[in-house]
Amino acid sequence: MSFLLACPICGPRDVYEFRFGGEVLRRPAPDAAEEEWTAYRYLRSNPARAGREWWFHRLGCRRWFQAERDATENRVIATWWAGEGPTGAETGARDSGRPGGDGG
Amino acid sequence: MADERLPVPGIDTSRSFTFTFDGRDVTAHPGDTIGSALAANGVTTLTRSFKYHRPRGLLCVAGRCPNCLVNVDGVPSVRSCTEPAVEGMVVASQNAWPSLRFDLVSLADRFDRFLPIGFYYKVFHRPRFLWPFFEHMLRQVAGLGVVDTSVVPDRVERTRNLHADVAVIGGGPAGCLAALEAAAAGARVVLVDDGPELGGHFRLTSAAVRGDDRLTGLDGIAAAVRLRELVAEQPGITALTRTTAFGIYEGGLVGANEGRIVHRIRARRIVLATGAAERPALFDGNDLPGIMLGSGVLRLARLFGVRAGKRAVVVTDGPWGWRCAADLLDAGVSVMAIADAREVANTGVDEALRGRLADAGVEQLTDTTVLGARGRGRVSRLRLGTPGGERTLATDLVAMCLRPEPVVALAAQAGAGRRYDAALGVTVAEAPPEDVLLAGHVQGSDDLATVLASAIVAGRRAAREAGAAGAADQAAAERALAEAAAAAPAPVAAVPTSLATGGRKRFVCVCEDVTVKELELGVYEGFDDLETMKRYSTTTMGPCQGKMCHSLAAGVQAELTGRSRGEVGHTTSRPPYHPVSLGALAGPHLDPVRYTAMHERHAALDPTWVDMGDWKRPLIYTSVAEECRAVRERVGLIDVSTLGKLDVRGPDAGAYLDWLHPNRFSDLRMGRVRYRAMTDEAGIVLDDGTVARLGPDRFFVTTGTGTLDAVDQWMRWWLAGSGRDVSITNTTGELAAMNLAGPQARATLAKVTDADVSKAAMPYLAAAEVLIAGVPATILRIGFVGELGYEIHVPADYGTHVWDALMAAGAEFGIAPFGVEAQRILRLEKQHLIVSQDTDALSGPIESGLGWLVKADKDDFVGRAAVAFAAASGARPNLIGFEAPGRPVPHEGAGIVREGQLIGRVTSAKWSPHLGKTIGMAWMTHGPFDTGTPIVIRHDDDRTVTATLQAKPFYDPDGVRLRA
Repeated sequence: MSFLLACPICGPRDVYEFRFGGEVLRRPAPDAAEEEWTAYRYLRSNPARAGREWWFHRLGCRRWFQAERDATENRVIATWWAGEGPTGAETGARDSGRPGGDGG
Repeated sequence: MADERLPVPGIDTSRSFTFTFDGRDVTAHPGDTIGSALAANGVTTLTRSFKYHRPRGLLCVAGRCPNCLVNVDGVPSVRSCTEPAVEGMVVASQNAWPSLRFDLVSLADRFDRFLPIGFYYKVFHRPRFLWPFFEHMLRQVAGLGVVDTSVVPDRVERTRNLHADVAVIGGGPAGCLAALEAAAAGARVVLVDDGPELGGHFRLTSAAVRGDDRLTGLDGIAAAVRLRELVAEQPGITALTRTTAFGIYEGGLVGANEGRIVHRIRARRIVLATGAAERPALFDGNDLPGIMLGSGVLRLARLFGVRAGKRAVVVTDGPWGWRCAADLLDAGVSVMAIADAREVANTGVDEALRGRLADAGVEQLTDTTVLGARGRGRVSRLRLGTPGGERTLATDLVAMCLRPEPVVALAAQAGAGRRYDAALGVTVAEAPPEDVLLAGHVQGSDDLATVLASAIVAGRRAAREAGAAGAADQAAAERALAEAAAAAPAPVAAVPTSLATGGRKRFVCVCEDVTVKELELGVYEGFDDLETMKRYSTTTMGPCQGKMCHSLAAGVQAELTGRSRGEVGHTTSRPPYHPVSLGALAGPHLDPVRYTAMHERHAALDPTWVDMGDWKRPLIYTSVAEECRAVRERVGLIDVSTLGKLDVRGPDAGAYLDWLHPNRFSDLRMGRVRYRAMTDEAGIVLDDGTVARLGPDRFFVTTGTGTLDAVDQWMRWWLAGSGRDVSITNTTGELAAMNLAGPQARATLAKVTDADVSKAAMPYLAAAEVLIAGVPATILRIGFVGELGYEIHVPADYGTHVWDALMAAGAEFGIAPFGVEAQRILRLEKQHLIVSQDTDALSGPIESGLGWLVKADKDDFVGRAAVAFAAASGARPNLIGFEAPGRPVPHEGAGIVREGQLIGRVTSAKWSPHLGKTIGMAWMTHGPFDTGTPIVIRHDDDRTVTATLQAKPFYDPDGVRLRA
């Protein structure tokens, strides 16, 4: 893997500067069934097409952001700050997946 | 038998030096490679082949083939034809035993019928018990070269990152022109070529150049010089020579290898001008020393002034061979005959060239097939099938000049298409992906004007697409290319591969010693697909990576299976295009070490050290017993700078820390510190440490030494996009930290601060910001080692100053520095757990004995659902202390057994000098869990340790000393 990823702060950088943070998921409600929690903890869809992911610019600004990437050809379609979204499309689903947004 | 050198600009014959080859002195001149010097000294056999140990000599003289691999100063498989000769170097042949001349394994060559394709699968697997013997024998015989593992790894490998608008691969005429055009348009260009200098095949030919105004009127050699001048004058071009592009990767990344350097070239556009190269002809005995590629013979003559033989025969299938013969004559090599596979009318050669060769006494044989070569250690006779019958020529040099084939491997790697062009008889590259452009011969046409025009088109387009500002006339370049292509002479038709000549030693693959006979057997056995044949026969899998053999193997496969060459296709092209040493790929042997601010103070005491991540920490200064005694009875000081330290602040900081932990921090009072342990969503304990509140919105968080980065990332992740007003700063490097602990800790501290450190003013779990020895410090009254203690954080620049002040203040009390080993014992006496030593990737807080942390009344926190599920499922503390009266101290990780069943595992165990017994902690999966329960620990295969469980701390169980 040597594709480029555009960090919203630092611009396009080698993927080796980043840590992959997994799929963007929706966190279940606190009182959700254990099955739902288990799916959230352990089950991943790993789609063979474009998917939304977390990335962390480990060797740069050390900020988390989200990206849409086609995993079959490592094409990065867009990157954006969590909660903002590239175009506003489907931001609802992603925002409710905001990890820190639901509690505390 | 050394021959006079021909005068060439690259070789300075006025000076000479020597190196040794298999113990014998070899004279070389400045400019020589090992291979050219050996050739000039009459050495024709450089190595022996992979399987049959046949003698092999120079073939390509371009670093492409496997025939000249030698050991140089202990480094195996160096390509002698391209490796510059250096005075005093020790060169040794490979794959020869006992010597290059008398190689015993070469007897295998006589018994090849017993070494069929896949022979080690077929022959050596029965009887099974003999396999270890066979394996040992095969490993002795097989392989190329020997790695000297005694060689100390040097530290000269380098990785270099280059950024370019346009990377041009190939420094021949097309590559140079593409680079010049791109740079002229304002692009930053990196130009990569594997040869010692730019110019490509121009360097070898005296033919007149046409097709570009900058070069027209010059002959090839002068044109190569002109191209080098033009590139050198263009500041926008970084030219890398002796650098082989070995891979094209995602994101416009080119991997290129220059000796011990790997260049990572990142470019917006990649122009592939990889040109074309010759490959061997197929006839019996085609691997004998003295049988070379025509370009190899020319390289020796033109670049090194070495005549590879005295009576050359040129073998060809088109006008390129006639041109090569003329170039050989011009260079000073005598050519006896040329043998063309075509009929005289179809040679595509003009009368002038034929006349020149005739004048030079070159016999012209057309419609002629090579039947085979013979010779002992070197070719001496070439058998030809001519229209007039069989002829045998006495010769010492055969120049194989078959149609140069486009070098398409890198283009294929990059995602371009490969198409077998039946009219040309070669595979061409086409339809590259959008960030790759093709220039020159790699696309098929060998018409020089077309090649140069296509390079100008590619260079201009690459620059424009890469965003270069300079406007070049793209349309004009495209028009020029169309005109050149239209004006180009019709390509000379291909002569197909023929297997009609027969012979047992027709080598398809010289790397792996695969002959036509073996491919025939492979097809007979069912390997009729090129990819499976490749794996079965290992054709194309040797050091040349298919450069010599891929198209030959595909052509033979087509003949053998009765399919067209197009139907047979190609094997997948993968990096590396060219072998790269693992050392170069691994890069520099960098092994970073982090020192704490007080490192020099420790080093002065010459402790034993322990590595913790990148950190060096003192393990033991004097003795564990003495260091433990100092802490328990007097006062001790330990450097804990490696603790992770995070400054978490903002209006939402308290609520945010609540969210990340099972316990609560929003209610933590100012000037207080609280234990923290973090869980993930699966309810697993990730890390522990402390949180101190130093202001209404300001928290000082410590983490474990090894978990800092993970905790930092974890905390930032949950923050990302949450809308919380919190900022996190990693202050680990800017703070030094030390822990002052022991009954005299307060008295010691009081001497270096004006702050009130009394029990009333600074009780257990107090946090304060005070001046210590004049330095602003954060003090946490916590006690990992179980005594009255102060964890002191100061700016790293003052770490040594504060350390010295505390050591001086404590002198009257008998202060002693203590190391990590004493700390481990002291904490174990208190049963203070270490996350990820006493817990693992399945340990929740309840099971780890941290259930008291979990605040059931909190609405939600990371891991709440999992911890609640564990509690509802009956989770209980599994981490329990144990003690045993004597030794041995059981191994950490040792199993605890009852009636043959594993019921637990030792997580920590130490000898406590203070208590005079073995103490430890165990993860018990089965009860009873009560204090006093006897357990049996399997120390090793022979011994067990009997111990009893002890749920309470072994030392000061009620924490009286801690709270003193």
